[in-house]
Amino acid sequence: MNLKPEDLKKISEKMEASTNLRSGAGRAKITVHMGTCGIATGARDIMKAFLDELEASGQKDILFTTTGCAGLCSHEPMATIEIQGESPVKYVHLTKEKVKTIFKEHVMNGKIVEESALGRGSERVG
Amino acid sequence: MIKYTLNGKIIEKGNETTILESASKQGIKIPTLCNNEHLTPFGGCRLCLVDVATTRNPDMKKLMPACTAKIGEGQIIETHSSKVIQARRFILSMLISRSPKASELRVLAKEIGLPEDSEEQTPAEKYLFNDAPSIVDTNCILCGLCVRACAEIPMRDAISFSARGMERTVKTPFEKYAETCIGCGSCAYVCPTNTITIEEVV
Amino acid sequence: MQEYRMHLMLCAGTGCVSNRAFDIEKAFNRELEKHNLQDEIQVVDTGCQGFCERGPIMIVQPGDIFYEMLEEKDIPYLVEEHFLKGRPVEKHMYVPKEGDDPIPKLSDIGFFKKQKLIALANRGLIDPENIDEYIGREGYSALAKALTEMTPEEIIKEVKDSGLRGRGGGGFSTGMKWGFAKNSPGDEKYIICNADEGDPGAFMDRSIVESDPHVILEGMAIGAYAIGASHGFIYVRGEYPLAVERIYKAIKDARTYGLLGDDIFGTGFEFDVSVNRGAGAFVCGEETSLIASLEGNMPEPRVRPPYPAVAGYMGKPTNINNVETWANIRHIINRGATWYSSIGTETSKGTKVFSLVGKVNNTGLVEVPMGISVRDIIFDIGGGVMNGKKFKAVQTGGPSGGCIPESLLDTPVGYDTFAKIGSIVGSGGMIVMDEDNCMVEVARYFLAFTQQESCGKCTPCREGTRHMLDILTRITEGKGKEEDIDILLEMSELIGSTSLCALGATAPNPVLTTLKYFRDEYDAHIKEGRCPAKECKSLIQYTILADKCTGCTLCARDCPVDAISGERKGIHIIDPEVCVKCGICKAVCNFDAVRIES
Repeated sequence: MNLKPEDLKKISEKMEASTNLRSGAGRAKITVHMGTCGIATGARDIMKAFLDELEASGQKDILFTTTGCAGLCSHEPMATIEIQGESPVKYVHLTKEKVKTIFKEHVMNGKIVEESALGRGSERVG
Repeated sequence: MIKYTLNGKIIEKGNETTILESASKQGIKIPTLCNNEHLTPFGGCRLCLVDVATTRNPDMKKLMPACTAKIGEGQIIETHSSKVIQARRFILSMLISRSPKASELRVLAKEIGLPEDSEEQTPAEKYLFNDAPSIVDTNCILCGLCVRACAEIPMRDAISFSARGMERTVKTPFEKYAETCIGCGSCAYVCPTNTITIEEVV
Repeated sequence: MQEYRMHLMLCAGTGCVSNRAFDIEKAFNRELEKHNLQDEIQVVDTGCQGFCERGPIMIVQPGDIFYEMLEEKDIPYLVEEHFLKGRPVEKHMYVPKEGDDPIPKLSDIGFFKKQKLIALANRGLIDPENIDEYIGREGYSALAKALTEMTPEEIIKEVKDSGLRGRGGGGFSTGMKWGFAKNSPGDEKYIICNADEGDPGAFMDRSIVESDPHVILEGMAIGAYAIGASHGFIYVRGEYPLAVERIYKAIKDARTYGLLGDDIFGTGFEFDVSVNRGAGAFVCGEETSLIASLEGNMPEPRVRPPYPAVAGYMGKPTNINNVETWANIRHIINRGATWYSSIGTETSKGTKVFSLVGKVNNTGLVEVPMGISVRDIIFDIGGGVMNGKKFKAVQTGGPSGGCIPESLLDTPVGYDTFAKIGSIVGSGGMIVMDEDNCMVEVARYFLAFTQQESCGKCTPCREGTRHMLDILTRITEGKGKEEDIDILLEMSELIGSTSLCALGATAPNPVLTTLKYFRDEYDAHIKEGRCPAKECKSLIQYTILADKCTGCTLCARDCPVDAISGERKGIHIIDPEVCVKCGICKAVCNFDAVRIES
């Protein structure tokens, strides 16, 4: 198989998700909080739901990652959505259905789903 | 036409030769140990170093071996400057320190003005003549003339260099009797220190 | 293609592999499977990430979380805590010397912060054995651009304008070198990549080939197109098995994609490479020796001119560049000469990779913009001198370079700035020395190296370095004579000006610079029979302090030659006649009772 210059782009696109993941570049970042409390309330299913949405959308410039407990255990499962250049938004009491809406509205269209959102900003100061 | 300066004299020449050949035609003798006009130049002994600059950069002087360096446009060549003499004395002192019994080297020392009297020697020369421990017992100065002669005249490759650095020697392949040697004596003929002898094999 | 939520970028460079990185990888895969995470988390073997001191290391992406000094037994806990429960494990993170809290982010660690990666751009980010990952990071796009949009003249102009200079040590303009080879008459031309790295303490070429082999192939293909060559050689050091393995894999994959071979990108350009393994001769770093070796001859330099650009491999015009030089090419083509030349100083453009070794806290491989100060490299990136000792000197450029003393630490990195102070950038070795290093011994060590590696063709290098070594040895043994300094100076100058190749011509540099900056240490050895750094064994004595010795008997039990006597709870004494000065007693004493006297 002899590659043509345009084939490089195709391979690049195929690899974009992992490239972005490793270099921390992406249009949006989804973080599911998966501390013990989160997992206990079903964060793993939330994670899978996000991954399914992500795959179905075919988007390659969205980073997906997991992190620890956000400290607000009573509101788990939680996720943080961060659109590049905007402050992160935390969503609480997530369900698979809410994930669908959040993905469609916030991640894809940049519109915060207010009824599920806890607040803007990072949990750590400084 | 190549125009260059040799020891202050401007020369214009048509064909490309080495500095050594050009100097020789002008009657200037440059000492050599590893050169023979019938063999490929080697540039290893470093005794024939001459000072070369160019008219574009007259202050950028560089020592180059006359046996391999070709004459070039605008060159300013000095074959006997104090820097050249100092380099030659140093090279020859090292070879004498390596092979103190090689009388040919002592003759050459006289020719190039390397004194044997330690009063007239530089600190390095004094060290090389008197103090330096001797670690090889040979008159072979590794000029490689024998190796090249064998490869280029009868084309037999019966001898070659072996090992590197101070361990370097001239040997037959695997140090066994060289089957390709035809006993032509070329190697012994070109040896500048008469280190190779020819024996009758019955 | 499967998407993973997390990538574990496990360093599989030679340094980490020798610290059992592959066992760690097995443990990760085992544990990930145990927790059913194998479809969510991917373990990726990368090339050397540079922080070899802390190996085996791993970077978790996304998040840039840096784990160090991993052991197989730590893996089950790490997988459970971090990858299952999402709590990064601080215990295995890098702890900066001055702070208390572990700093988990790679980009916050001083070692990585001041670096600028161009030649090492892909280190730790891709799997070197996966060509798609290289292409995913703009790989081979520079070759496509060069072949489809640029003429050879334009490429050479771009490389020339970038200001890139030979990274192997020569420091000659790469673009000019290419120009000579292009303009040299001949239908058959060759390209060579010099990967026969041999300086003590330098390993950037190995690292680049191991972590990003395609960058070399792409650079060479661009170079070949520019000068009009259709075949290239990679001359790689025989002692680099992992690099050899990865370059072979890369060549195979590139051929499969048609990035090597006939009609590359459908442009009609034809290029392929073959690999030759060096047999352990340092002199092969010198281009004419390397070419002689490729031709099947003894590795010996020959007099230049003619330069390889005119008469190289098999007498044909040949262009030879070092690994790091080749690794810069694709970035220059893609991003342009103006971008590249905006980095660095007036005469030294771009970045340089240094291997930072010796008595420095953060041993490893660093890439910095030219013009950064030596102090920044050693103290900010390197984290300063080990064990709180006092900095004495740094040897740059390996055995061909010189020692830079503390007073010159603010010298900016560059070819000319280093030359001015008697050293060289060279291939980029940087060996840090502290107050316990004897500078006469340092000079002796490097000269012993070049002496051993001298091919023996020319008189000054073969004979001269040996005489200098004899003299330096006698000084370190306390048998030096007053005139030795003059002899060394005279020999250094003459060996420098009369040797055939750079190996001999630069061999005296360590002696010259130590004589220039540390003359007092030479004088102490020669005039007082004393080694101020207390390193030269012939000039030191081990003694036990009566007021500190508790009579624990530990030193006496550990002494390999039974030189220490003394009753339990009584003061111990070392017999200087028997003592071999191995230093074990000093190392084991818990009461700091052993002293070295000179």
